[in-house]
Amino acid sequence: MLGYLPAAWKTPHLKKDAFVDPEYWENLGKTAERGTLDAIFLADGPLLGDPAYDANPIRLEPTVNWGHVAAATSRVGLVATASSTFNDPFELAERFLSFDHQTGGRAAWNVVTTRGVPAARNFGMPDIPFRDDRYERANEFVDVVRALWASAATGRDVHFHGGFFDIDGRLRVPPSKQGHPVIFQAGGSPQGRELAGRAAEGVFAAELTKNQAIEHYRLVKGFARSNGRSPDDIKILPGLLLSLGSTEEEARRRSDEIHDAGPPSYSIGWLSQAIGFDASKLELDEPFPEEVLAPIGNAQSFLGSIGFRESIITQIRKTNPTVRSYLKQTRYTGSGHAGFVGTPEQLADHIEDWFHAGAIDGFNLQPDRLIDGLDVIVDELVPILRERGLYRHQYETETLREHFQAASPTPPF
Amino acid sequence: MMTKPYLALGLAGPHLVELTTNHQLLERWDALPVAFSVLGIDRIDGSAPAPVTLSSSAVGATLASATKRGRFLIAASPQRDHPYNIARRVASLAHLSGGRSGLLIGVRDAYAPEGPKDAPAWGGAGLGGGAPLNAQTAYDTARAVRALEQSWPYDSIIGDRETGILVESNRILHVDIENSFSIAGPLNAPAPETGASVIAWYAETATDRPPTSDDTPIELILGAAGSVPVVALGKEPPVGQFAGIVLRAGIEQSVSELLDAAERWLADGFVPSALGGSLRATLNLSLPAPLPSTARAAFPVPQPHVSL
Ligand SMILES: Cc1cc2nc3c(=O)[nH]c(=O)nc-3n(C[C@H](O)[C@H](O)[C@H](O)COP(=O)(O)O)c2cc1C
Repeated sequence: MLGYLPAAWKTPHLKKDAFVDPEYWENLGKTAERGTLDAIFLADGPLLGDPAYDANPIRLEPTVNWGHVAAATSRVGLVATASSTFNDPFELAERFLSFDHQTGGRAAWNVVTTRGVPAARNFGMPDIPFRDDRYERANEFVDVVRALWASAATGRDVHFHGGFFDIDGRLRVPPSKQGHPVIFQAGGSPQGRELAGRAAEGVFAAELTKNQAIEHYRLVKGFARSNGRSPDDIKILPGLLLSLGSTEEEARRRSDEIHDAGPPSYSIGWLSQAIGFDASKLELDEPFPEEVLAPIGNAQSFLGSIGFRESIITQIRKTNPTVRSYLKQTRYTGSGHAGFVGTPEQLADHIEDWFHAGAIDGFNLQPDRLIDGLDVIVDELVPILRERGLYRHQYETETLREHFQAASPTPPF
Repeated sequence: MMTKPYLALGLAGPHLVELTTNHQLLERWDALPVAFSVLGIDRIDGSAPAPVTLSSSAVGATLASATKRGRFLIAASPQRDHPYNIARRVASLAHLSGGRSGLLIGVRDAYAPEGPKDAPAWGGAGLGGGAPLNAQTAYDTARAVRALEQSWPYDSIIGDRETGILVESNRILHVDIENSFSIAGPLNAPAPETGASVIAWYAETATDRPPTSDDTPIELILGAAGSVPVVALGKEPPVGQFAGIVLRAGIEQSVSELLDAAERWLADGFVPSALGGSLRATLNLSLPAPLPSTARAAFPVPQPHVSL
């Protein structure tokens, strides 16, 4: 993870193998901690996409990667993504609790169900299970993991017999400083939101507009409430793709430069995957045909995220752009995730606006290029937020769960 | 002429907790000229589970960062784990530790519940796969881990800013494994710069020895039936010629007792190992042969590109 833009690796600030360089990762953690960030986050999947032009498909295993960073830091939270589809819940529960123990209670598990045939083929399966099956499994998986984490504290065996898993046993890993890891959920489908409302303490969402975000915020917090939980127990953090500069002009130039340094096949490939239609077949200088924007035929076998697709289609319908201009325009407005290009001051305004509107508890900021982009967040954005009384001046809490609990309560809805 | 053996350490569950929560112990551990430490040897050596333990890879991640010289083997077994997932952690640790890490593959995991009767290895994951819990499955796991770690040659990372090509990805290969597991590959991380990780096996008796094949991934056999016997702390080293000895603490013994004993043994009769450096280099093991040239390329030859 060098930054969300494929060409992030090209900067002279990075060694050619920075993505596996221990110092690179330690510095990221230390920088985040200098900014008193709540947490840093790693996406994941057990498969390799073509890394020819882009370091993003390259993935160190997140619990190991963040475990390493943990030893070089002391307060920043560490969110590691792991698949509920391609793991055994006992092994995952043991490893994540160990990771949480080793980090002094700073760990989180971001539950994803994983899509893509290449992942399935690494596990002896011809294809991934349908979405409903993946989420049914994910629900049971999360229950087993939570029961096992509880067993670490009680010392009593778990006897779990479900549709997917049979477990008789317990963990012998000591409970961590925060008891057990925080659970995150990422994914915008109805099944994902229900799982989040039931079990997650954090949600990574994909929200393009403030109104959509408010609706989603209330929906998921409402699910939490109907599960007998407090809406404060679940934090909603949409992704926000960032290019920052000291002027708007400079930010746009930076974004353009890093975009132009990468191959166009990326945005075309990304769009195809996200909308479930081969975008390389589209006329670049024509608007999107209706057949592309129509509701999806078979939601079960659609490989992309329904949440992402909905956001994108809504966006396209609003302005009816040509394919080329949509691909270029998403540089500024985001692509599935919202995008933000501007100054730290403007970003602070944006965060404040969405926060006061009751759309978010925070953002999962995703810089175009981390090696210099994270410094700008830490050294320029964070001080502005502090001045406005919106952000901590130093860590007042130790564990990730405590960091979250220290955040503002959910406004009434 | 007698060559002196090297010394290695065997840590059980409670020692993993003790070592990683004590800075002074970590410093002592890091300064000790032993060949390697096994993180959680009790997980795979047939012991009963101790009251506490940690996942080996989580401990390895801490050691990779908090220490600079000490080497280690993580213990893993396919009982509740899959070779692709094991390979990811092994490769990640090798990158982050500068090659100070390796894998001790076990047949069973003392801390894990049994899986389903018809497929007790990995079958508990409920994905329809799985295999018997035996030496062949562990061996197949080791083969898969080795192949996966080699599926992406490190020197294919070129970072050519002129052409826009970061990786000569046509040199990344599918592993197309069909043994106890079916795995297409490739791994989603490159091979460590120091070469594929050392893979060890544990054999107390001749019947515990690993299966054999031309492409055996096993480079080191711990235990009485191997070249590196395991000696309980408090006992004397065995008589005879051995490449090395693993000094193993019992669960009622502390890490500092183990380190004290190791210091005494190193002063008398054992050869000190280099401080720092990769496990492969320290054990004088050559690089394994690369994947066969017949393996399928995972990606097309990258082309220089123009912008949108
Ligand atoms: C913000 C966000 C982040 C995600 N991160 C990951 C990830 O790191 N790995 C992954 O396999 N899936 C990730 N997903 C995908 C979902 O977990 C899920 O597999 C996919 O979106 C399909 O299910 P859905 O319709 O519920 O979204 C992410 C989704 C969202 C919205």
